[in-house]
Amino acid sequence: MVSIRLHNVCLDYPLYGAYDFSLKRRLLGRLIREPGQMRTIRAIDNITIEAEPGARIGLAGPNGSGKSTLLRLIAGVYPPSGGRVAVHGNIVPLLGLNAGVNLDFVAQDNIALLLRIGGRKPTRSVIDEIWAFTELETRMQRLPLRMFSSGMLMRVLFATATAFPADILLLDEWLSVVDEHFAEKAEMRLQNLVSQAAIVIIASHDRPLLRRTCSTIINLDRGRIASTVAVEPPATHALELREKRA
Amino acid sequence: MHHTQEDLQAPLHETAHRPSVLHIFKIYYPDLFGGTLTVIRDICASLKDAFASAVLVCSQSAGPRELVVNDVPVERVRSFGNLFSLPTAPTYPWRLWRRIAKHDLLALHAPFPLADLVFALGFGGSRPLVVHWHADIVTHAGLRWFVQPLMRRTLRRAKAIIVSDHVLVETTPLLREFDHKCHVVPFGIDSSGYDWPKLEPHHVNDRGRLVLACGRLVPYKGFDVLIRAAASRAFEVWIIGEGNERPRLEQLIRELGLTDRVRLLGSVSDSERVKLMCLCDVFVIPSVTNAETFGLVQLEAMAAGRPVVNTALDTAVPRVARHGMEAITVPPGDPEMLGYAIDTLIRDPERRRRMGVAARTRALTRYSAAAFREGMETVYRNAVAAPSPAPASDTERPRPTEWMESVRIAAALAWSDMRHRYVRSLLGPFWMSLQMAIVVAVLGSVIGQMSNTGMLSRLPMLALSMTAWTFLNGVVLDATTALQNSASLIRDRALPPVVFLLQCTFRQGLFALHNACVPLVLWLVLSPHDVSYALAALPGLLLFVACTFALSLVLGALATRYHDLKPIIESTLMLAFLASPVIWSSDMINQRAIVLRLNPLTHLFAVWREPLAGGHVDPASLVYVLVTLALLILASVLTLVQLRKAAFWI
Repeated sequence: MVSIRLHNVCLDYPLYGAYDFSLKRRLLGRLIREPGQMRTIRAIDNITIEAEPGARIGLAGPNGSGKSTLLRLIAGVYPPSGGRVAVHGNIVPLLGLNAGVNLDFVAQDNIALLLRIGGRKPTRSVIDEIWAFTELETRMQRLPLRMFSSGMLMRVLFATATAFPADILLLDEWLSVVDEHFAEKAEMRLQNLVSQAAIVIIASHDRPLLRRTCSTIINLDRGRIASTVAVEPPATHALELREKRA
Repeated sequence: MHHTQEDLQAPLHETAHRPSVLHIFKIYYPDLFGGTLTVIRDICASLKDAFASAVLVCSQSAGPRELVVNDVPVERVRSFGNLFSLPTAPTYPWRLWRRIAKHDLLALHAPFPLADLVFALGFGGSRPLVVHWHADIVTHAGLRWFVQPLMRRTLRRAKAIIVSDHVLVETTPLLREFDHKCHVVPFGIDSSGYDWPKLEPHHVNDRGRLVLACGRLVPYKGFDVLIRAAASRAFEVWIIGEGNERPRLEQLIRELGLTDRVRLLGSVSDSERVKLMCLCDVFVIPSVTNAETFGLVQLEAMAAGRPVVNTALDTAVPRVARHGMEAITVPPGDPEMLGYAIDTLIRDPERRRRMGVAARTRALTRYSAAAFREGMETVYRNAVAAPSPAPASDTERPRPTEWMESVRIAAALAWSDMRHRYVRSLLGPFWMSLQMAIVVAVLGSVIGQMSNTGMLSRLPMLALSMTAWTFLNGVVLDATTALQNSASLIRDRALPPVVFLLQCTFRQGLFALHNACVPLVLWLVLSPHDVSYALAALPGLLLFVACTFALSLVLGALATRYHDLKPIIESTLMLAFLASPVIWSSDMINQRAIVLRLNPLTHLFAVWREPLAGGHVDPASLVYVLVTLALLILASVLTLVQLRKAAFWI
């Protein structure tokens, strides 16, 4: 049973580097009893979210409102400092496309490695399928990624990251780089992926995208839930489509 | 020991139908008196019809190991004094582990890290566990980083957590994580003992100035505050209790010239204490830290119909006797306010009477012994009845597959590293091996000049030692930067950080296999090759690799957390290379050199080099290496716990 349950979750982000944590400071601090400084910031403050299969949750909010941190917390990157996190199901966090890429390796090696990191076996047919999606020339598979333009690189990474469906899909703002033609194709694939996943959580500044994709939009503000908006799927969808065609 | 265990079995047999509960705590009667012990005793006594209780504690006294206190069998494990308020009883975990299977339910009275150690390591999973949360660690808060992960594991495994007031769940971050398991069962008091006919305050005494306090004489109880409060006032203070603060308190009383008005009564019997409670005019609980979670004595005073003065702690203390109703609550550690509050009550007999009546009513209704017993019995029964693996499996089951997955990913990454090592290289594959061959040749000739023995016969061992050293050096150096370099994979793909530390060992292992062709060729050419020697060296090599991995895990995590460690580790490795018998062997120099014998690397190399050369491993070396490995594994386990936070460091 796939589910995400966050109950009164808080995350205090320790500010390493901003303050002097050194041994000298600790020993002296104890001797002269200087008052403790504020050493953490509360990045996530008392958030409760429950998601059952079928949930499409959009996270909106200004920069620094905790969208990415919340996604990372759900993915298990950060341990919560308070509250309860219970996640069941296979999570695929796609928070940054660049993760794990080595520009010196040739494209197909990169694809194989990224698939392995995702726990998939990179067979020839899978790599070919991914390559077909990128619409790049076959011989470029053997070129190091260093030679690729940033748009081409994005195509490869996107195609690889979205090649397999997931139970829980966590997406962070990353559909902005590619050209128009590929963007359309990418969004279709993303919608397809979203439709296969049991739970999807997307963080984005792109409100139309969120409205097209999600059933609920959570507005975050300084780590708290400012408001939760339920999206009416049919009406908005049709409207967006019309806008798009126009 | 045999007969004592039978003694313990006896009471279990005659009442086989009652589930048996093992209470786990650090100390018990008759070594000490105090609130927590009263609670344990009351639980044992009030549940005796439903549960057969037993107690396992530590004791410093030389008395008998087994005794019976109030019909409850108590086993006392020998302790060698206290360290950070905790008994040093090395055999306690073992005894606890042996006892677990004999009982149907375990009741851990927290905090008690010695027992957490047993549960955190996964022992005793077969029996349901209930945790009585008495207090957080307040006095030695510096130990929290070490103890908290243990406590978290214990709580994760517990069926239920019992607290005396809900405010404890709200103010304790650790408990908030498990608030679905927390059950609030307020302590109860059997008020029958306090039903004195002359309860009316004006019958008791008419001086109107006796102030009573009760508790162990330890710093957090704040009795010094009470004594200071008495200095500028006229009331009389009696303090019941014993403890190691006594000399300091006595000195304080003398310094303030209060010997005629402030008395330390020491330990008194239960009936005497009840009598004093009924006799006094105001009861004070001046505790100064959150270690005081409930204040059972104030409940006793309330049952005796006394008005209370307590302190505004973040615990149940100001909620048991509430400000303005049963008590006056003052800021903790403020003698002026405390004295003022006491004086207010002393000057106002009517208010005292009113508060006393209110206090008694609250004690009888809200904190009755019957409700306490019922609450405890419900929690215990549910814990015994609940199917055992249900909550634990949620988090524990995916572990092995997760581990396998991590190893698989680390191997894939290492393999890819190895394959791409020769990308854009001039000499192609094995250029590193070529380099190794050159190093060995040069070093060999230089050392051959220094010692007069035949250098050729030493060459294979020199090459192998260099390969092993390159491996160790590489693994540790790579580990110091591994997490930083893989920051994006950790933060954006949520891969566990340990993957990248494993990757270092795997990668350097593959490199070492490449380099190993140099010593292999030399060995085949230059030595009378005896395969049985090589086989004998394998266990030692395994130890070497295990130590290297554990060391890289610990240092890798530390160097990521503290940035100044990387250069320190680098220079230490350089020093270690020079000070260890890697390129020279210990028979070239004075074998008794103390630095050489203390250097763990000497022994780490000896455990596989000696058998390879056809000799025998010195048992001392073996012990040294095993102890080092054990310490490293312990440190690795702690590191793995801390690695949860690695994403914050990078």
